[in-house]
Amino acid sequence: MLQYFTLNTGIEIVCFLIAMICLNSDNKAEWKVFIVFLLVTCIIEMAGVHFKKIYLADQIHNPPNIWLYNILLLFQICFFSMIFDMLLSKYLNIKIVIFGMGTLLLVTHNYELYQHGIFAYNELTNTIMLVFIVLGSLFYFYSLLKDENYVELKYAYDFWWVAGILFFYFGSTACNIFFKSLSPEKIKSIKHLTYYIYNAFNIILYGCWSYSFICRKWLTSQGLS
Amino acid sequence: MLELLIYLQKMADITGLIIITTLIFLIAPAFLVLYIFIYNKRKKRHIEEKQLMQVTFESELIKTQMEIREQTMQTIGADLHDNIGQLLSLTSLTLNSVKLEDAEKAQQRIDAALDLTMRSIKEMRLLGKLLQGEQLIGLGLSEAIRHEINWIEKSGQYVVNYDIEGEQPVQNNPDKDLILFRILQEVFNNIIKHSKAKEISIKLGYSEQGVRLQVIDNGAGFDVTNLPDDQKGMGLLNIQRRAEIVGGQFFIQSQPGEGTCIDIFIPYP
Repeated sequence: MLQYFTLNTGIEIVCFLIAMICLNSDNKAEWKVFIVFLLVTCIIEMAGVHFKKIYLADQIHNPPNIWLYNILLLFQICFFSMIFDMLLSKYLNIKIVIFGMGTLLLVTHNYELYQHGIFAYNELTNTIMLVFIVLGSLFYFYSLLKDENYVELKYAYDFWWVAGILFFYFGSTACNIFFKSLSPEKIKSIKHLTYYIYNAFNIILYGCWSYSFICRKWLTSQGLS
Repeated sequence: MLELLIYLQKMADITGLIIITTLIFLIAPAFLVLYIFIYNKRKKRHIEEKQLMQVTFESELIKTQMEIREQTMQTIGADLHDNIGQLLSLTSLTLNSVKLEDAEKAQQRIDAALDLTMRSIKEMRLLGKLLQGEQLIGLGLSEAIRHEINWIEKSGQYVVNYDIEGEQPVQNNPDKDLILFRILQEVFNNIIKHSKAKEISIKLGYSEQGVRLQVIDNGAGFDVTNLPDDQKGMGLLNIQRRAEIVGGQFFIQSQPGEGTCIDIFIPYP
């Protein structure tokens, strides 16, 4: 069992546990969905470790674990669309835009699956999702700046959640751009570099999210949310 | 061997490129987050300043209301003592001196007492109106000014011309009306105490930009640039501060022997 605990899965499990503690009794359903999403992420990541081991043991008869991440991508599309709709609806009613973006991503996802099957990663969908997430995050920050009301950013759970996702998706752009060129099959010696980069971004992402959940719990228990 | 060196060089290039690009892509959101923090701090400071200004404005408004009330009470007190009190004392003396044996003289004194009583009633009515004047600001500045002028004219020492230019806005700003009214009272106080003027001209002008109040007198005037210490408390600083607190401007023109012109402009409503 311990073999499934890598730095990556460890951070995700810690974040999931924090979400469980902090958001379990949250009065907003959207925030409770975080627990489900993080649970799905943890399961897929641990399954990813398992299938990677099988693949490395026998690369001829077993496919790589990429198909799992194609499934995770589907969850991410739905979850991020819902969360950005919740965050941005405070400032502007752009439900249709977010719904349209989500639909476009689902269409691209299906198109890519149709094109190359489930055993190749849906890079185009991931790239488009990355662009949408960065745009959504920037629009959120713009709305926050424009808003006349003062928000104590130290405890603003929305802000920290968006900051985490922006750091992760914007920061990992370079790795995403060179994803194909950096694949371990092509350049074996460089795989450690991307591994460390992704680990660093995972720490930032789940660190920000965990802090956001703690802030949310603290503010809701104080009746300030 | 050469091929290996080329391969290693290529690897080093790619590694460097990825690290630099990743750092750039990481620094950009970091700066954005930092900027939002700095901007947010500024926003907080701005909100605090706005709140402080609001508190100052409200306390100034309360002070103004108190001053108007005080001035009204002083005027009433002085009028009761100097005017109505004298009239009633005279009435009492006249009635005391009535001797019923001499019917004709008694009738004359009773008529005189009746006349004095009627004058007292008239004075009392005017005082009543002065008390209402404080509430008249609610009906509009021009109406309140008219009442103040009536009181000044009653003394018989001043000829007052009052003009209203432009149309009064549909929506009043009672706070600004109150401050302008108090400024006018201060100006009148200065005219009565220091100017020895005979004629006062008041112009109240409404425009799209705001309201302008101009008070000109033909009194002694003074050197605006070289005020003696004992005249610095004439309320001019008070007038200027009050005008500025509502975003207005205050101008004064005066020369010894040439009267004084006071001009106040306030954005309105």
